[in-house]
Amino acid sequence: MEIEGASGGHIGGGEGSGRGAYLVWEDLSAVLPNFSKGSPTRRLLNGLSGYAEPGRIMAIMGPSGSGKSTLLDTLAGRLSRNVVMTGNILFNGKKKRLAYGAVAYVTQEDVLLGTLTVRETITYSAHLRLPSSFTKEEVKNIVEGTIMEMGLLECADRSIGNWHLRGISGGEKKRVSIALEILTRPCILFLDEPTSGLDSASAFFVTQTLRSIARDGRTVVSSVHQPSSEVFALFDDLFLLSGGETVYFGEAKTAIEFFAEAGVPCPSRRNPSDHFLRCINSDFDIVTATLKGSQRIRDVPTSSDPLMNLATAEIKARLVEKYKRSKYADKTRARMQAILAIEGHVIEMKSGSQASWWKQLSTLLRRSSLNMSRDVGYYWLRIIIYILVSICVGTIYFDVGNGYTAIFARAACGAFITGFMTFMSIGGFPSFIEEMKVFYRERLNGYYGVSVFIISNFLSSFPFLAVVTLTSGTITYYLVKFRTEFSHYVFFCLNIFACISVIESLMMVVASLVPNFLMGIITGAGIMGILMMTSGFFRLLPDLPKPFWRYPVSYLSYGSWGIQGAYKNDFLGLEFDPMIPGDQKLTGDFVIQHMFGIPIDHSKWWDLAAIVAILVSYRVLFFVILKFKENALPLFQTLYAKRTLQKLDKRPSFRKVPSISSKRHQPLHSLSSQEGLNSPLQ
Amino acid sequence: MAHETEKTSNSAAGHSMMEIEASKPSGHGVVAGGLSPLSETLWREKASLEIVGDVSARLTWKDLTVTVTLSKGETQKVLEGLTGYAEPGTFTALMGPSGSGKSTLLDALSSRLAANAFLSGTILLNGRKRKLSFGTAAYVTQDDNLIGTLTVRETISYSARLRLPDKMSWSKKRALIESTIIEMGLQDCADTVIGNWHLRGISGGEKRRVSIALEILTRPRLLFLDEPTSGLDSASAFFVTQTLRALARDGRTVIASIHQPSSEVFELFDQLYLLSSGKTVYFGQASDAYEFFAQAGFPCPALRNPSDHFLRCVNSDFDKVKATLKGSMKLGFEASDDPLEKITTAEAIRVLIDSFRTSQYSYAAREKVEEISKVKGTVLDSGGSQASFLMQTFTLSKRSFINMSRDFGYYWLRLVIYIVVTVCIGTIYLNVGTGYNSILARGSCASFVFGFVTFMSIGGFPSFVEDMKVFQRERLNGHYGVTAFVISNTLSAMPFLILITFLAGTVCYYMVRLHPGFKHYLFFVLCLYASVTVVESLMMAIASIVPNFLMGIITGAGIQGIFMLVSGYFRLPNDIPKPVWRYPMSYISFHFWALQGQYQNDLSGLVFDNQSPDLPKIPGEYILENVFQIDTARSKWIDLSVILSMIVVYRIIFFIMIKFSEDVTPWIRGYMARRRMQQKNGNQNTTVSPNGLTQSPSLRTYATGRR
Repeated sequence: MEIEGASGGHIGGGEGSGRGAYLVWEDLSAVLPNFSKGSPTRRLLNGLSGYAEPGRIMAIMGPSGSGKSTLLDTLAGRLSRNVVMTGNILFNGKKKRLAYGAVAYVTQEDVLLGTLTVRETITYSAHLRLPSSFTKEEVKNIVEGTIMEMGLLECADRSIGNWHLRGISGGEKKRVSIALEILTRPCILFLDEPTSGLDSASAFFVTQTLRSIARDGRTVVSSVHQPSSEVFALFDDLFLLSGGETVYFGEAKTAIEFFAEAGVPCPSRRNPSDHFLRCINSDFDIVTATLKGSQRIRDVPTSSDPLMNLATAEIKARLVEKYKRSKYADKTRARMQAILAIEGHVIEMKSGSQASWWKQLSTLLRRSSLNMSRDVGYYWLRIIIYILVSICVGTIYFDVGNGYTAIFARAACGAFITGFMTFMSIGGFPSFIEEMKVFYRERLNGYYGVSVFIISNFLSSFPFLAVVTLTSGTITYYLVKFRTEFSHYVFFCLNIFACISVIESLMMVVASLVPNFLMGIITGAGIMGILMMTSGFFRLLPDLPKPFWRYPVSYLSYGSWGIQGAYKNDFLGLEFDPMIPGDQKLTGDFVIQHMFGIPIDHSKWWDLAAIVAILVSYRVLFFVILKFKENALPLFQTLYAKRTLQKLDKRPSFRKVPSISSKRHQPLHSLSSQEGLNSPLQ
Repeated sequence: MAHETEKTSNSAAGHSMMEIEASKPSGHGVVAGGLSPLSETLWREKASLEIVGDVSARLTWKDLTVTVTLSKGETQKVLEGLTGYAEPGTFTALMGPSGSGKSTLLDALSSRLAANAFLSGTILLNGRKRKLSFGTAAYVTQDDNLIGTLTVRETISYSARLRLPDKMSWSKKRALIESTIIEMGLQDCADTVIGNWHLRGISGGEKRRVSIALEILTRPRLLFLDEPTSGLDSASAFFVTQTLRALARDGRTVIASIHQPSSEVFELFDQLYLLSSGKTVYFGQASDAYEFFAQAGFPCPALRNPSDHFLRCVNSDFDKVKATLKGSMKLGFEASDDPLEKITTAEAIRVLIDSFRTSQYSYAAREKVEEISKVKGTVLDSGGSQASFLMQTFTLSKRSFINMSRDFGYYWLRLVIYIVVTVCIGTIYLNVGTGYNSILARGSCASFVFGFVTFMSIGGFPSFVEDMKVFQRERLNGHYGVTAFVISNTLSAMPFLILITFLAGTVCYYMVRLHPGFKHYLFFVLCLYASVTVVESLMMAIASIVPNFLMGIITGAGIQGIFMLVSGYFRLPNDIPKPVWRYPMSYISFHFWALQGQYQNDLSGLVFDNQSPDLPKIPGEYILENVFQIDTARSKWIDLSVILSMIVVYRIIFFIMIKFSEDVTPWIRGYMARRRMQQKNGNQNTTVSPNGLTQSPSLRTYATGRR
């Protein structure tokens, strides 16, 4: 019944549908301020008006740089804060700013954990966000229903795939991303170029699914880039943008009429959407100009194509003018008024997740452990490398003994283990960055809090680090034969464990700060190099220059505590041969105090405690950085935007500057830079 | 230029039949096939003939079948009985859904098939059965592996210098370069850099056109392109296709596989070869395909891109999509008059293939193939590069030097890091002196410098991996030899490494105040330079074997870690267990030699305080022999020369690695595949190779991991 109403009539479409969300936007403009060197402030959107109704699927189309993504971000309330927006966006007749997670937004790239299967991905997401009051059975039903609805049944038990695991196809990935968003049954679904990068069958499938979601009484708004004929035929409404201006808004079918009326009819053997984009894509002007320059233009088929003789900029300007006075624009205005008159339901603004904190933590913990145990690169590869390295170390220092040279050998062995072996943690960096990406996406959608993420990440890595420690610790300890007592072995392992954990936390802090993988490795290696140098092995602690290196760096370095603890654990209570045979034997006490310059006023357990304290502080630092990135950066951007508004007030001509002319003089690629600029994920 | 354009229009106007007439070698030296004067000269140089006859390429293939052996000995027919032709002056597009065999056909025609693929049927070039040598046919791959720091003009002119004959004057080369730039419509961005991860450069469409420009530089008559428009927006795709058409109109034979062309792009095709699961669905004039589909019962609806329609008809994935949609969704399909809604795509494909086999298009094609095969045209042959070895080496060194000096990540970033690290070391060991504790401090300082500082060379790994990609593309196209690459890479890196090590070494040496005297300082920096170069060479050898970047870093770090461990600092030389670790590991480790040399360099001749002031002072020689266990009988210069010879050894290993993966690996893979196939077939041992075409030029699997 509801489906009939929505798809059938245009007017009176969904009055009957109780839960539909009507979206209306009036006179929407967006400006990207730019204060540097008087370069012009860029206008991204220019006085756009329109509406979206339940039961219908709308395509936002335009050449690259036309403002598709900006419009989508604006409507979804995800506009980056440094863009100034004016105009009204009304939900069911009420002006309301959307919080993250209130509406569903599917981004262009599919950020998913590659090791999980499709069903697992959806199930964990459901547990994270559905209210805790739901029983397992209910959640399962919802998950299965969603898998069914998205046509993922066939690949439900296949893993998604990552760099070393072959997984599902691109189209399937996209459908998983959509499935995650429709789990909570949102009223409005926004999608950013869901068909880009897919082959025609997958693109058709994805769009068909979107259409069926819309027919279910939901409002679907999607930007599309170069749809094929089949895909284009599936859209109900079309919003054609160019340079931030409306070229056409209305039913997709009547767009062909509009273009014909405007004097650029679509040839019969042509995909209408190709034709529309061809008419308004000013890049074609540049192409034509260049082709003319290289004297090849004679060859261009002149046949029936009126476009070759007209500059696209001209056609575009004509279309924009024509549209303003066309019956389609009148119809749109009338429909907007009608919608605004409806006293719709207030959409309840649920936050992203309704699950309790504990539920989130346990779900995330399970998911994270599963991911770590399946991803070969995360820990397994490293465990193998650790075992290999510890066998090497163990055989080189095999049965080190109590000779005079053994003093130094024992020290070097301890330093090598705490220094170089922890260095190997860098190997897990790529996997960690993958996980961070998933975190950023889910955080943006309001799935869970920062603290839940950090705690779950720490806890789930715990068993793996323990395995790493136990294997490499046992191998080296018993091959080298440090001490015979078991308690010393326990301390040795605990010490390694603490050091590796610190390094892991440090790498996380680095990962949250650096822009890419390579910088992460370089920064991480640099920091570790400095920590190693100040740890008291390469230069004895008392010899370190007092300012800076001794205080505070050596105290902040986990390495110096690790080495102090290891030395005390190793030497105290042993006796060594002297340098010249016949002299008095050297006691461990003497070695530590006089040869290594380490005070023995506190026990080795205090050293361990210091490492644990450093570990905790790194985790806190990680938390603070994530929080800061989330809260403080947008604050700065808001300030920046406010300044723009003040500037704009001083410049009355702001609204009259036509944006077309300025756009044409920009270099070709600056257009593409605008794409995605406002997407917060960038 | 006027001459050229005239010729062009001639050949464009004349159609296939005309072409053949015109192409018969005409006596008085007029070049047929629309060669520009420049290309003419070039061909004359190549063929060393006064008169160049018809140099256009006519390619025909008949009953082409390609079989691939899979890992379990199963075989799969990727292409089945394809027949077709490509003529000069035409642009042939291979279309089909993914997995239909577009790329395989392209690879088969350009004899680039993977080692485990077997081919039967005839491929004739100008009526002769012969392998296409590199250079006659140009092949543009899907990914653009270009050096990001060079401008478009530089990229093209270096490529010209690498491949054009030395005899050709620079002004001629220059004219050729400029005409290529204009031909590809690159004049607007000729002086813009290509761009890499930190440098914003030209657009994707422009990159693709540069890739094409590089291939047409030697004016090949036959051009293969693998999906030249994928990943481009509609305007760039249109531009690229337009250029390809123009190249074809110039008398060349252009064959490209194209995935989902837009309406504008589709209109530019001359010939269309439509494939579905390895079989011909349609071959003929692109404009006639519309008629064919209508006749076969699948008319293209109005307002639809014909190519979208064709692909929709032959893409069996749509069956799956429909089945899933029907199974999972409550909504039925909206009724439509589309015949495709009534039958499955698999059915439609069958109908189409059958009706093509009996259609006039199929007959016409077969006749044409026969006709073209009869004409025995010129033997098109040329080696990859015409430039001499010295020219190649010189050009490569220069290009790679410019790249290194412009790429911030290659050496400059490392210079900064080195200086930061050495300043840290310098302040920590500041003015180390000759106290008792400074004995150990000097030892650990040297070990840290030679261990961890050289370790930082890993930072240049990503840039080097980029370099390797460019090398593999160019090598595959026969631009230059492995030797030239290895030598030029060594030469061009030298100034940067010298700069880095001398700056870093000087900072470190004078802050720590190691052994006074210029000779000692010189030894230190030379030793540092040699060590860093060894690490570089080691990393290069690693880069040529590991599958990816991460594995490279892990392997490199692991090897260096072990080298460091046996270098004599972490464990004294005499204490290192004899089997494996002492012999031979410690002698393989360059750290060992560096430390041996540096300890001697630093300590011998100095006198140190003893533990307590009343004891006698300790001479450096005593420490060397008893504390660090250094063999003082060997001169430190010998240690240095050992490190230097290691550089040479690693470079040779690098060379062998490349050669090995080029020649031996594909051979082994082909052999294995053949054996598996024979085992499978048992007695019914079919002759896998009916003609010489099956043997593969050795390089093909080297760079291409794809099918």
